[in-house]
Amino acid sequence: MDYTEKIDLHMHTVFSDGTDTPEEIIARVRESGIGLFSVTDHDGIKAASAIPPLLSEDGPAFITGVEFSCRDGEGKYHVLGYGYDPDALPIRKIVERGHRLRIKKVRARLELLRTNFGFSFPREDIEELLSQDNPGKPHIANLMVRLGYAASKEQAFADYLNRMKFNSEYVRPEDAIRGIAESGGIPVLAHPCYGDGDQLILGEDMDRRLRRLTEFGLKGVEGFYSGFTPRLCRETLSFAERYGLYVTAGSDYHGKNKMIAPGDTGPVNAADAPEGLRRFLADVKIING
Amino acid sequence: MIINLNGRIDSNNAAQVENDITEQLSGRDGAPVEIDASGLEYISSAGLRVLLRVRKTHPDMRITGVNSEVWEILDMTGFTEMMEVEKAYRVVSIEGCEEIGRGANGTIYRIDRDNVVKVYNNADALSDIQHEREVAKLALILGIPTAISYDVVRVGESYGSVFELLNARSFSKILANEPERMDWCVKEYVDLLRKIHATVVPEGKLPDMKETALSWARFVRDYIPAEAGDKLLSLVEAIPHDDHMIHGDYHTKNVELQNDEVLLIDMDTLSVGHPIFELASMFNAFIGFSEYDHDNILRFQGFDFETGSAFWHKSLEAYLGTSCETKIREVEDKARIIGYTRMIRRTVMRGETETEEGREKIKMWTEELLGLLKKTDTLLFSRNELELEAVKENLDEVQLFVGERIEEADCPPKAQMQIAVAVEEIFINIASYAYAPDKGKATVRVEVSENPVTVTITFVDHGVPYDPLAKEDPDVTLPAEQREIGGLGIFMTKKIMDDVTYAYRDGQNILMLKKNL
Repeated sequence: MDYTEKIDLHMHTVFSDGTDTPEEIIARVRESGIGLFSVTDHDGIKAASAIPPLLSEDGPAFITGVEFSCRDGEGKYHVLGYGYDPDALPIRKIVERGHRLRIKKVRARLELLRTNFGFSFPREDIEELLSQDNPGKPHIANLMVRLGYAASKEQAFADYLNRMKFNSEYVRPEDAIRGIAESGGIPVLAHPCYGDGDQLILGEDMDRRLRRLTEFGLKGVEGFYSGFTPRLCRETLSFAERYGLYVTAGSDYHGKNKMIAPGDTGPVNAADAPEGLRRFLADVKIING
Repeated sequence: MIINLNGRIDSNNAAQVENDITEQLSGRDGAPVEIDASGLEYISSAGLRVLLRVRKTHPDMRITGVNSEVWEILDMTGFTEMMEVEKAYRVVSIEGCEEIGRGANGTIYRIDRDNVVKVYNNADALSDIQHEREVAKLALILGIPTAISYDVVRVGESYGSVFELLNARSFSKILANEPERMDWCVKEYVDLLRKIHATVVPEGKLPDMKETALSWARFVRDYIPAEAGDKLLSLVEAIPHDDHMIHGDYHTKNVELQNDEVLLIDMDTLSVGHPIFELASMFNAFIGFSEYDHDNILRFQGFDFETGSAFWHKSLEAYLGTSCETKIREVEDKARIIGYTRMIRRTVMRGETETEEGREKIKMWTEELLGLLKKTDTLLFSRNELELEAVKENLDEVQLFVGERIEEADCPPKAQMQIAVAVEEIFINIASYAYAPDKGKATVRVEVSENPVTVTITFVDHGVPYDPLAKEDPDVTLPAEQREIGGLGIFMTKKIMDDVTYAYRDGQNILMLKKNL
């Protein structure tokens, strides 16, 4: 694999909160001149089986991917997994566990809405909600708007969903990291400076985080990311070097949901690839059409 | 196109904010975008990424009115390096605040016990503030104790920079309220001045005061007779470049006592140049500015004209390390030349020629200036050199001056007495014969070199060529009644000193006396 090629290893499809179907995302990737991509849906691995049959010989090449939302006493993390075998039991178990926890959370939320505010939800809507791959707060908010409990999605979040705090179970980062590795994949920390996407983790905090996660078996960091400034990119790359980690590059493309262009891996050119990115591309399992 | 951001932006509403912005911007790709963040209380990293995405389609996006919490986040993450981010300034009122200083570019007020704000006069205050911060930092690095502003605030229509001055009092205040501390103030004030003037500034870091003084001289040239004007300009031009620091506005409001530390403030006039420029601005602050109206200094410094004059005189005395009045007056006159030049220009520039008082002031200063220019050939001065009328009455001045200089070299009492004998011989000789029957000037220079410690005293006059060494030594073995009259003095001088040499160069008698200590 030639690392100077345009790559995007962080993309979402309809299997999570993106808007592209597998066919559409392949078309978008091709249009954008990307030679290698990975679909990293939140807590789901359906694309890993759906995409390979759609690939063609003239590219692009593909890496199986996933983005697990994890949490423990120390914080929240998004852990990416690359090049795993989608049929392997360990990763399937994490996905199933994640899905179960998600369903449990949705049920708990609906129950809280009912007891606290008296909102009731028709049975068929609940069935529909729970049958989705990745049900969560946005889906409940949509439903609330449709049923007239909230004027807008924002109001649903601000007045109801974000006010209900309850303890729930989460996938722990060490479980995700081990599950990915035991399935032949490479576990990588997504957008390290941003934690689970809403935080700022820099300097000593990042150091502490990486020290723990590498002990669990973390192998890489997402060093190039559409949402990074040059400073954040440099900071992440310097940590990668210090810990001897792989480096990946991704956009977090979500289709029409966010204004992120496929292949946008940030202000620093990933083609000037550091050694960690070259090693990653040499070691990860790449699927060609 | 201005887009307002309000409240909090985090992952809960980032998508909505992004949609709103996208909607407002649709069809306006590439147009200048200003994000007005004055209503923004908090932004999480999800919000930061929204800003980043907007910037991708609108590269000239600016963010304005950013509060300090949000600014910290933008700064920490490198956003401030990537795009133009303008901070929202805290608003500070100076109503009822004590004015503690006033300089060329601004006025300093005390806003509470431990903080002062300097409010800038100029429209372009932000760049002035930036300049002052930079030069204050430079001064601090070079070892000058000063305060560096920690915040920029909005004061009415202008901007101010805030400094911490913990329980500090200016020297003006001390002089006004505790006149008995005058001598202590002089010592501290001059020690700091010497330290400033001993500081070498890396090239190009500070403006050259000579350039400014030249512009004053060029201006004033047109207001005085041509000959005097040309002389003024050539005197300033002859001052060599000097890379030592000068403060530029060194008066007692700009020197503060904070606990036991003496601090220099109001750094925006910091420059490099010959110390005469500094002395000129000091003369103006204590004398020149109030010569016409003695109440000026009371209004500005809080002490009266007599106190100001005494402080100036004592400071110059301490700075030059001499109580020799001739020496002090010589340097003061040089300072007055530049000082009056500046005052004349300033008064004209301010349009004060329209008033009777303005014209009177200019007339007074111009007369003084013309008188000074007539008798001055250089604006340079040396602490080691005394120029004075070669008359017998000035012997005491010469002895005082030489005595002070060799005192500094830890000269033993016996050698001091011997040197005094030699100095008397030589100076009286010059006073008696060099210009007779007319009068003329003599210069006495004292140099001390180390390893071995040697004092060299040089006498220079423009009188008739005369080599006192050419005369044969008197025969001191003869009985007194047979000896020749005269010649004994120079003989004694040769005995006392380790080396005496004479030269006649450029119309000058140069007699050099050397004594090893």
